[in-house]
Amino acid sequence: MKVSKWSERLFGTPLFEPLVSFSYLFPLLYIVVFLIVPVLAMLAIAFRHEGHFSLYWFKSILTSSYYVQFPPRGDFAIKTVTATGETVYLIRGIDFGVVINSLVVAALVTLLASLMGTIFAFIMARYDFRGKNFFRIALFIPLLVTPFVNAYVIKKMFLDTGLINYIFYELLHILPFRIKIDGLAGVVLAQAMTYYPIVYLNAYASFINIDPTLEEQAENLGSKGFHLFRTVTFPLALPGIAAGATLVFIFSLEDLAAPIVFQGDPLAKKLMSYQIFSKFLYGLGERSPEIAALSILMLTLAVLAFLGIRKYVSLRQYAMLSKGGRWKPRVSKPRPWQAAIIYVVLLPLLLFTIFPQIGVVLLAFSKQWSVTVMPQGFTTEYVKQMLFNPDVRRYIINSLMYSAAAVVLIILLSVTSSYATSRFKGILTPVLESLVIIPIAVPGIVVAMGYFYFFSQVFPDTPLDPTNIFNFNPAFVLILAYSIRRLPFSARSVYAGLQQVHVSLEEASMNLGASRWKTITGILLPLISLNVFGGAMLSFVYSMSETSVGITLGSLNMQYAPITAFMKDIMMSAAGSAQLAAALGVLLITVQILSIVLVNIITKQRYAFIGLT
Amino acid sequence: MRKLVEVKLENIVKTFGETVALKGIDLHIKHGELFTLLGPSGCGKSTTLRIIAGLDFPDSGRIFFDDQEVTYLSSSERGAVLVFQNYALWPHMTVYDNIAYGLKIRKLPKEEIERKVKWALQLVKLEGFEDRYPTQLSGGQQQRVAIARAIVVEPKLLLLDEPLSNLDAKLRLEMRSEIRRIQRELGITVLYVTHDQEEAMAISDRIAVMNVGTVEQIGTPREIYEKPKTEFVASFMGKTNVIPAKVVERHGDKVTVEFEHFRLEGLTYTDKSDKVVIVIRPERISLHPIENAVKLEGKVDLIEYYGFFIEVVGMFGETRIIARTISDKDVMGLRPQGPVAFYINKDDILVLPKQL
Repeated sequence: MKVSKWSERLFGTPLFEPLVSFSYLFPLLYIVVFLIVPVLAMLAIAFRHEGHFSLYWFKSILTSSYYVQFPPRGDFAIKTVTATGETVYLIRGIDFGVVINSLVVAALVTLLASLMGTIFAFIMARYDFRGKNFFRIALFIPLLVTPFVNAYVIKKMFLDTGLINYIFYELLHILPFRIKIDGLAGVVLAQAMTYYPIVYLNAYASFINIDPTLEEQAENLGSKGFHLFRTVTFPLALPGIAAGATLVFIFSLEDLAAPIVFQGDPLAKKLMSYQIFSKFLYGLGERSPEIAALSILMLTLAVLAFLGIRKYVSLRQYAMLSKGGRWKPRVSKPRPWQAAIIYVVLLPLLLFTIFPQIGVVLLAFSKQWSVTVMPQGFTTEYVKQMLFNPDVRRYIINSLMYSAAAVVLIILLSVTSSYATSRFKGILTPVLESLVIIPIAVPGIVVAMGYFYFFSQVFPDTPLDPTNIFNFNPAFVLILAYSIRRLPFSARSVYAGLQQVHVSLEEASMNLGASRWKTITGILLPLISLNVFGGAMLSFVYSMSETSVGITLGSLNMQYAPITAFMKDIMMSAAGSAQLAAALGVLLITVQILSIVLVNIITKQRYAFIGLT
Repeated sequence: MRKLVEVKLENIVKTFGETVALKGIDLHIKHGELFTLLGPSGCGKSTTLRIIAGLDFPDSGRIFFDDQEVTYLSSSERGAVLVFQNYALWPHMTVYDNIAYGLKIRKLPKEEIERKVKWALQLVKLEGFEDRYPTQLSGGQQQRVAIARAIVVEPKLLLLDEPLSNLDAKLRLEMRSEIRRIQRELGITVLYVTHDQEEAMAISDRIAVMNVGTVEQIGTPREIYEKPKTEFVASFMGKTNVIPAKVVERHGDKVTVEFEHFRLEGLTYTDKSDKVVIVIRPERISLHPIENAVKLEGKVDLIEYYGFFIEVVGMFGETRIIARTISDKDVMGLRPQGPVAFYINKDDILVLPKQL
């Protein structure tokens, strides 16, 4: 065989092997062409004005009071009195302008979600109390994605006639007046309630991975209680908490569902994600380069957050190897005051955060929900409509097909990239490692806009051209978008699997005369099949519920639109029935629960669903 | 009869990033020999083995199997089969499938595969374990399967990477003779890697002692033990006294060296350097007078009882010297801090240049 210095440098193996090169180059080129290049295409547009390189669009954004507003405008809360003489405080938040609003909202959501997630993680990791299993399951529920509908339920909860006022004003008389939460404040609540379990999962994993002897040693030296937590436990768990928090920050920044649901209040529209979305959707024909500039701004914020956390976490990779001895988990019974907090504060909080998903199910089977606390009436009409109306069914089939096709690509990408990065150490290894994880940091709406500019420029007047109003077929573009956006879930899982397989198992095979192909198919794939399966299911589930690209590019030709584009249409049109969207939400929940159960049964391990590091 | 291979390594250099793992290794392993690479961890012995197996490739230098150059032949084409330190048994395959794997790759007829697997299982004394999975086997049994899997393909060269390091002490002795038996029975060329000098001496025809990427000495176990060529080899091959000293007089290849206030005359030494160490094996030091011996007088520091031998640590000025005896009589009159005399035959005193 030929010795190649090139192969040695690039791929970390001096023997040029087609299979190894493919494992590097296929995922590398795929991500470059379908993620990096589209983003660069957008960059070219954002920095161009009247045919020249220019900062015009960024200047115009950052100097406009619509985008940046100091001092902020509006009152945080407005007092009104109803016809019946009741006082209602309307809480909407204040307006700093679109760009700052997005940052403030994302920061508040991150703060709230981190606080809640860390507290829940700590009690779950350290205390044994009655009902712990209920907590364990309930903490997963907010992660069940039902685009738009759960934000819709949250909006209903915080109406002046909603569940919160019913409990705290009418029943318990804790509130001296009614409150109504809308606008940016509503968006913050909706996002915090939806995303805090992401911090919870990451923080929980961190807490239980702390070597108990580290805390025992601190106790042994006289530290206890909050001091022990502050000086040992929390610092050791912080990298995990921070990783979860960063994900929440990025998710909040790119979220479209909450702003769309709360758009009845114009203040909720003053967010970057919504601005990009609406300027795109209503700017038929020529789209302003302002969209590209806004997208680049958003991308910059997300990538900065992402790089910051990666740097921070890699600086704090504490080795948590226990040196002999068995880990005795540090779990204790809560003291009375701790139990009181668990049952009086945390349990109700948990119940509130799972109410949106419960509300979605109730709504799917209800006749109407206007100003009452709960949806009213019982009907199976909407579920039937979903299952038997050929128009609605088409969206479901579209989504299933796109997701399945994306998963096939994702499996190929995950296996090749993980194989290359875990088995070889060439100069391309760290490049590929970063490329595979970077889609997490790229907001979905940015991917959508990048694809819009990319495909309209590279494939003009073909069915791949989004500006080709009558002939555009979003199928291909959506499959690509799903395969890029949901790749990290699978790639992480497969990579973890490969790390569990000692490389000597493959070396032994090749040493006995097997080819690399035979070694991969006969030895490696059977050993990591469960990881591949688990990752693929995860990618599939989150492809089904993909929102940003689906409701923008996907809705340009409703014939080929995915389920989320249809749900958006229902929620945005005055005539649409939220119940049908809720029925679709129930369908998505069902798919997600079935997948989780299936993965847990087959792989016999609990899956950490979302993580960053 | 299988064709045995002779292995030649010429000036093999290998670096990992900044660290030079091998600094130009030359080896010549003969037909049917059990050859051992011995050295502390990090000395490059496993790297050498992996390079011979085709799992790593050298930066420069050449490897020959007989007259064929194999330096850049891929592992699967090389026919030098490695038994991994962790055995590397495939957990999703039975013992039978593990052993048959290499034969299937070679596309042998089914009956022949069955016959050969049976033969290999007999050789490693594991008949009846065909349908077990690796996790259902003890460490020693896994080790035997790994050896069976390697020898069943009739390799030109069998490579063993610290094969005994994961076994407990008793099993280690048993498997050691087992490996020697199999090697003799098959007359196969074997390259064996270990950090355990006792293991290396017991099993090998010849040994190469390695240290930080170089070969310090090649020879039979007896040569290596009795005539170490360097300070490192001397100190690595079992517990020994290495005493820094100075050459004060030279007459041809006879020198006089000094340490503390002792002068030792008429020792053989040819190197130019005057900074030397004198090496004396503890078991060659007598605690009672013998003829033609150098006498060293000092104080007893410690007397340590090991069961089948006793060690007396003597202090000679600031220098500690250990003597070993199997006779209780020798130590009867001794007590800590009391006087003691060590008697050493000049032939048992080795003078070597001091290493850094």
